[in-house]
Amino acid sequence: MSESQQISVSKSGVSKLAILALALVFAAGLFVVGFDNGHIVNFVFAEDGSTGGIDPLVIHELAHDMRHAAGFPCH
Amino acid sequence: MIILFSGALAGLIHGTVNFAIVEPYLDQAIGIENHNLFESGESEDTPEFWIEYEGYRTWQKSGQILAGVILGVSMGSLFGIVFALSRNSLPGNHDVKKSLILAGVMWFTLYLIPFMKYPANPPTVGDGETIVLRAILYLSFIAISGIGAILFYKLSKKFKNNKKFISLIGYGVFISVAFFVMPENPDEITAPMNLVNEFRLMSVLGVSSFWISIGVILGLFWNRFESKKEA
Ligand SMILES: [Zn+2]
Repeated sequence: MSESQQISVSKSGVSKLAILALALVFAAGLFVVGFDNGHIVNFVFAEDGSTGGIDPLVIHELAHDMRHAAGFPCH
Repeated sequence: MIILFSGALAGLIHGTVNFAIVEPYLDQAIGIENHNLFESGESEDTPEFWIEYEGYRTWQKSGQILAGVILGVSMGSLFGIVFALSRNSLPGNHDVKKSLILAGVMWFTLYLIPFMKYPANPPTVGDGETIVLRAILYLSFIAISGIGAILFYKLSKKFKNNKKFISLIGYGVFISVAFFVMPENPDEITAPMNLVNEFRLMSVLGVSSFWISIGVILGLFWNRFESKKEA
C-alpha cells in the first residue's frame, strides 16, 4: 500500500489495518494472561520436542496471580 | 500507538493495585494449600521448603505486574477498537467523558455481569480437571454479554430518542436469560468463605481500577493527539 493511500484511509476514519493489528494484540495478550498452560513454549520449541530447559508452564506461572485476580478460571 | 500505550499504563496500574490488595489473599490461599501438602505428606514443613517457596512467590508476584501490563495492552486494544468505532456516537462533549462512559459500559458488560455468574476465585478453589470447561463457560458468557450489548445498541439506533430505553430493557432480559441458562461453575468451594469473598471484592476493585484508568488515560491521549488521528 502506498503512503498516500494509507493516509487517506486513516483520514477517512479508522484504518482497517490498525483495527486488525489491535484485534491480534487483544487476542494474543488475552491468551497469554488468561489461558496459556504451556502451549506457547511448547509451540515455539516444538521442532525437537524439547523446550531447551524452559518449563513450558513458565508463562502460566508468571501470569498466574493476575489470572486469579482478573477472574480467569484457574486452580 | 496511543492505544497500546494507554493500555500498558492502565495495565501497570491494575498490576500494581493487585500487587497491593490481592496478593495478601493469594498468600493466604496458598498458605492453605501448603498446609494441605504437609498434611498429605507431599511436602515437608522444613526451612528449605519455605526458602524455596518465598523465592518462588517473589518471582511470581513480579509476574502480577508484568501480566497486568500484558493484559492491559490486550484489553486496551479492544477498548481502543470499540472507542475508535463508536466515539462519534458516544454521549458527552469531551473525549475523556466519552471514553469513561465507554469504559463503564465495557466494565459492566465484559466484567461485572460475567463476574456475577462466574466470580473470581482464589487459589485452591478451582479443580484442575474442570479448567477447560470453566474457561469455555467464562469466555462464552463474556462473549454473549458483549455481543448482546452490541446488538441491542444497534437496535437502539432504530428507536426514537424517548424509546431508546427499550433496548436497555432488551439487553437486561437477554442477559438474565443467558444468566440462568448457562451452567453453573462445577467446582465446590473448599476454602473458607470469608477469604473467598474478600478476595472477590479485591478482584472487583482491581479490575475496576483498570477500567477507570483506561477510560481517563485513553480519553486524555485521544484528546491531545486527535488532530493527528493516530490509532
Ligand atoms: Zn491458580
